[in-house]
Amino acid sequence: MTRPFILSASIGEAAFAQAHIAAPILRAAEAAGLDLMVMGRAGERPFDAQVLLAWAAPLTSRLGLVATVPASNAHPFHVARALSAVDFLSAGRTGWSVIPEGAPGGMAEDMVGAARALWDGWGSDTLILDKASGRYLDASKVRASNYEGPFFKVAGPVNAMRPPLGHPLLVVDGDAPIAVDDADIALFADGAPVPPATKRLLKIAPGADVAAIAARFEAGEIDGVHFTLTDALAQLPGIAARFAGLGSEQPAGDLRARLGLPIPATASNQPGGAVVPEFA
Amino acid sequence: MMDKQIHLWAFLQGIGFFPSGWMHERARPAGVFSMDYYARVAALAEQGRFDAIVFGDQLQSRGAGGRTPERMAMPTLDPVSLLTAMAAVTRHIGLVATVSTTYNTPEMLAERFAAMERISGGRSGWNIVTTAHPATAPNFGEVDLPPKDERYRHAKDVVAKACELWAAMDRAGPALPQGRPVLVQAGQSGDGRDFAARTAEAIFCPAATIDAGIDFRSDLRSRVAAVGRNPDGVRIMPGLSCVLGGSEEEARANHAAILDLADDALAIEYLSESLCCDLTGFDPAGQVPVETILAQTLLPRADIARAVAPAAEKGTPLGEFAAHFMRHPRGHNVFLGTPEQMADMMIAWRDAGACDGFTLQPSYMPGGLEDFVEQVVPILQRRGRLRTEYPGTTLRASLGLPSRETVTA
Repeated sequence: MTRPFILSASIGEAAFAQAHIAAPILRAAEAAGLDLMVMGRAGERPFDAQVLLAWAAPLTSRLGLVATVPASNAHPFHVARALSAVDFLSAGRTGWSVIPEGAPGGMAEDMVGAARALWDGWGSDTLILDKASGRYLDASKVRASNYEGPFFKVAGPVNAMRPPLGHPLLVVDGDAPIAVDDADIALFADGAPVPPATKRLLKIAPGADVAAIAARFEAGEIDGVHFTLTDALAQLPGIAARFAGLGSEQPAGDLRARLGLPIPATASNQPGGAVVPEFA
Repeated sequence: MMDKQIHLWAFLQGIGFFPSGWMHERARPAGVFSMDYYARVAALAEQGRFDAIVFGDQLQSRGAGGRTPERMAMPTLDPVSLLTAMAAVTRHIGLVATVSTTYNTPEMLAERFAAMERISGGRSGWNIVTTAHPATAPNFGEVDLPPKDERYRHAKDVVAKACELWAAMDRAGPALPQGRPVLVQAGQSGDGRDFAARTAEAIFCPAATIDAGIDFRSDLRSRVAAVGRNPDGVRIMPGLSCVLGGSEEEARANHAAILDLADDALAIEYLSESLCCDLTGFDPAGQVPVETILAQTLLPRADIARAVAPAAEKGTPLGEFAAHFMRHPRGHNVFLGTPEQMADMMIAWRDAGACDGFTLQPSYMPGGLEDFVEQVVPILQRRGRLRTEYPGTTLRASLGLPSRETVTA
């Protein structure tokens, strides 16, 4: 079975918060075949990435949209709702990367635990939407989370549906690591520790040696690469030309299906995301 | 002199004004989980030359006593996300998000709105709420809501701090096109009206009759003047729902048909939520369980006692009381008639000083919005009461407010 080669990049300039800057960058990212665009990055807080994720959703069709979430300036109830909404608007292309900076130790991990508990308060098959019987949902699939962590106590249920991905992809950045042992994706630099995660992306410069990267991918040492964009429009075409060839065709479906990332069994009480029944 | 212009806002939370609206044949309940639905309704609102789309919000899930209702449309996706996604597929429509001052820090909400304001090119608005539902507190690690006067005092500080943060973000760049979001408020109480008078540039309110509209608008305008602001810098936008028909008779029949989609079970869930007490385990044919309600409700007991007293006195069965309660929404203007009659009514309210415009609450979505935009908007435009083109690209331009106001609170 072929593994997908995952192409990821982050953007952290404040100018990206403007439509005339962001729109061409998103188009270039899609054209480059990028799998993930991490908005915001460790050490910088240029914009509220959760908001930009929502804006990017209708303007993209393939790109995974990952919000950097500062644990010091967010609440899991709000974050769980925002990411649920974006995951529906993007039809299952959402991720998040919780950054501990400025927050007391353990707060970022608590944020992850609380948001996951809220998403798990809604079953995958909660929605019924049957006009004839008048049943909108199955209340037996909804439960209060009653999450109690060291920083956040969140009763729930949250007024947001379980996301289509179940849980948005959890991305851990090795430059600002958090102590979560069942993340989906780790970003790490050569020589630095690799946070535990299902998939590992090596941080490299756009000019890195493609053959060496391909060899490390074939050896199973990495699952893809991550670029820190500083001049996105100039860099993305080169990244596409040099690295897109390493990817093989991905299976159809949402971002988890495409990248081979089932929800970690340790993270959720359900294996999948919400299903919206369609009635004629 | 040009005839008085009517401002239009679209209140699009949920799947329509009526609890049974989601079951209507022209409602699309699956739509509220998809981008194409939001793109469609945003395009409709722009076609109707609305100033803005507004989403209300709560910070607790629907239900009562820990029971989630099965027959009411829910849950509500995050309004900031929905509105920002709509910004990406529109050019003019304003985007007003309801955000709580009690359960956000100034830093959190200032960052959210700054991003929304920048990426939308100056189309953001903030409906400032203090959060009044007691079930919210446990979602934020608390047992009880702070008392109302304390919430409003805190709200004043949060708005002031957020305005400072926006001024700093504007200076640091990229610029905030309107300086900050347009400030919107919906308080009804004395505290709420005073807060609105000091802070708001647009105000929602329920007003069931033209006289109620005149009273509210006059009261607010004098409170605005009393704090040294110009009353013409504040838009008063009462809620308006409607069911249209080719004749008045047909509209009434259409209205009855929507109400008839609701059964007793839905009505009892709706009543349970309104009284904050789960009544779904009681016999619909039995008495209204007043003692249980007063013992279990989290809402102010005196208000709840007033609401259920008539049923207790008359011995009305629970199902019947719930159906009546749901079929007679208090305080709202629900217009039934032809599109011509609706346009007449709207113009009469505007000319009488009962409002500056209306916050339309479609009966069911998206069909109710489609009907209004296709049938009523062209009449208002023909009569010169609704613009045919947008005056600019910011929300302030659509509202006819100065392009940038000194940031205050």
